[in-house]
Amino acid sequence: MTECRYTRAESVEQVIESLVDADGKAHIIAGGVALGVLLNERLFDPAWLIDISRIAALRSVERTAEGGIRIGALMTHSQLQRSKVVAEAAPLIIEMCREIACDRIKNRGTIGGNLCIADPNGDPPVALLALNATVTAAGPDGKRDIPIREFFIDLYETALAKDEFLRDISIAPLPASAGFAYEKFAARKAMDYSSTISAAVQVSLEPGTGAIADIGIGLSGVGVKPVWPAAAENLLRGTKPDKRVFSRMRDILFESLEPIGDNLNSEDYKRHVACVIVERAIIRACCPSQTTGAPS
Amino acid sequence: MTVEITLIVNGEMHHLAVSPTETLVQVLRDRLDLTGTHRDCAMGICGACTVQLNGEPVSSCLLLAVQADGEQITTIENLEKGGSLSSVQEAFLEHGAVQCGYCTPGFVMTAEALLRDKTSPGRDEIVEALKGNLCRCSGYVKILDAVESAAAKRD
Repeated sequence: MTECRYTRAESVEQVIESLVDADGKAHIIAGGVALGVLLNERLFDPAWLIDISRIAALRSVERTAEGGIRIGALMTHSQLQRSKVVAEAAPLIIEMCREIACDRIKNRGTIGGNLCIADPNGDPPVALLALNATVTAAGPDGKRDIPIREFFIDLYETALAKDEFLRDISIAPLPASAGFAYEKFAARKAMDYSSTISAAVQVSLEPGTGAIADIGIGLSGVGVKPVWPAAAENLLRGTKPDKRVFSRMRDILFESLEPIGDNLNSEDYKRHVACVIVERAIIRACCPSQTTGAPS
Repeated sequence: MTVEITLIVNGEMHHLAVSPTETLVQVLRDRLDLTGTHRDCAMGICGACTVQLNGEPVSSCLLLAVQADGEQITTIENLEKGGSLSSVQEAFLEHGAVQCGYCTPGFVMTAEALLRDKTSPGRDEIVEALKGNLCRCSGYVKILDAVESAAAKRD
């Protein structure tokens, strides 16, 4: 293994200085869950690790001026799942966190780290895509906002430049009459890491008709990166979804999704499952009795 | 490059010089001779390497020792006090919840955290809390029975 240099960053400024110095040769480590697996599998041989895990300023959740929330990159999924602020402002995130691994992983894994590894099957990107979140990157030229829908570029590749790191994630205020749902397809009830497919939906409904005024959908496990099915969203807006609408949605998804078949599930089966779970999530999100996922 | 760290393991301080990519499970087993924590999947899935970091269950195979610098680590070895096993450990023995024993420390460390944090967890809550621990021998029933009975004894 390569000799590895280690920097324990005490501040955001120090992270940026180290990244500039490293010129692409360093890796940031936060919870160390994703990188830990790669290290153990000998797929990752770092020359320089910049440990950001002690920077308190990045481990926070606050309300924004507009009434939405800003989540610091170092918030662990356990912390998010317990957060009253997140439960009020973005309950879809709480529901998503329940589907992640188990407490052990959630006690360490951070939401920032999860977005940066850009796992094609991961859960957090799915909820954030449905919420149309904004990622804020910090670098030597200051802060840069990147819409989550432009953040995932390719397999394990994000839009971050080599001298930037993910600082926080902002989410708009919860719309009036919002409904939401998270669905995960997996062979195991828990700890399935192989051929899972996840879908998230957030809707706001027309007060009179109950039709979908606006909708956000996220998907993972159906391509090289988490997917934002914009065409499906456009179809669904303004409708009260019924069999015909879902059938047309299925046609759109079948045509646009490019899943990677594996030994458990074929490409076409993954397309089919994606359609089923998106439909289930929409039905549940539109249902008036959907609970708000308050922390337990 | 080596990094000087201090680990507080089961209440004892250890000053060590570690490589940045050395994991906590490596340090515990190979340097500190605390072999109750087991290596298995190396991916954080099976739970055999579970220890508590400041009381919270974590996968020690995915935790770099440098990131545990100055923190409280609790391993399975901490449970026995003066020859007496913890109530969870006793329950595992009473209920025949140990077969090969490889997964057992991970299950016990997770269950200890659950019973410390939750009074009277129901069977469903116990299943949920232990969902990240895999056992290839037992079929899980006796493990769940053991934790349920330990929970009942704590009330």
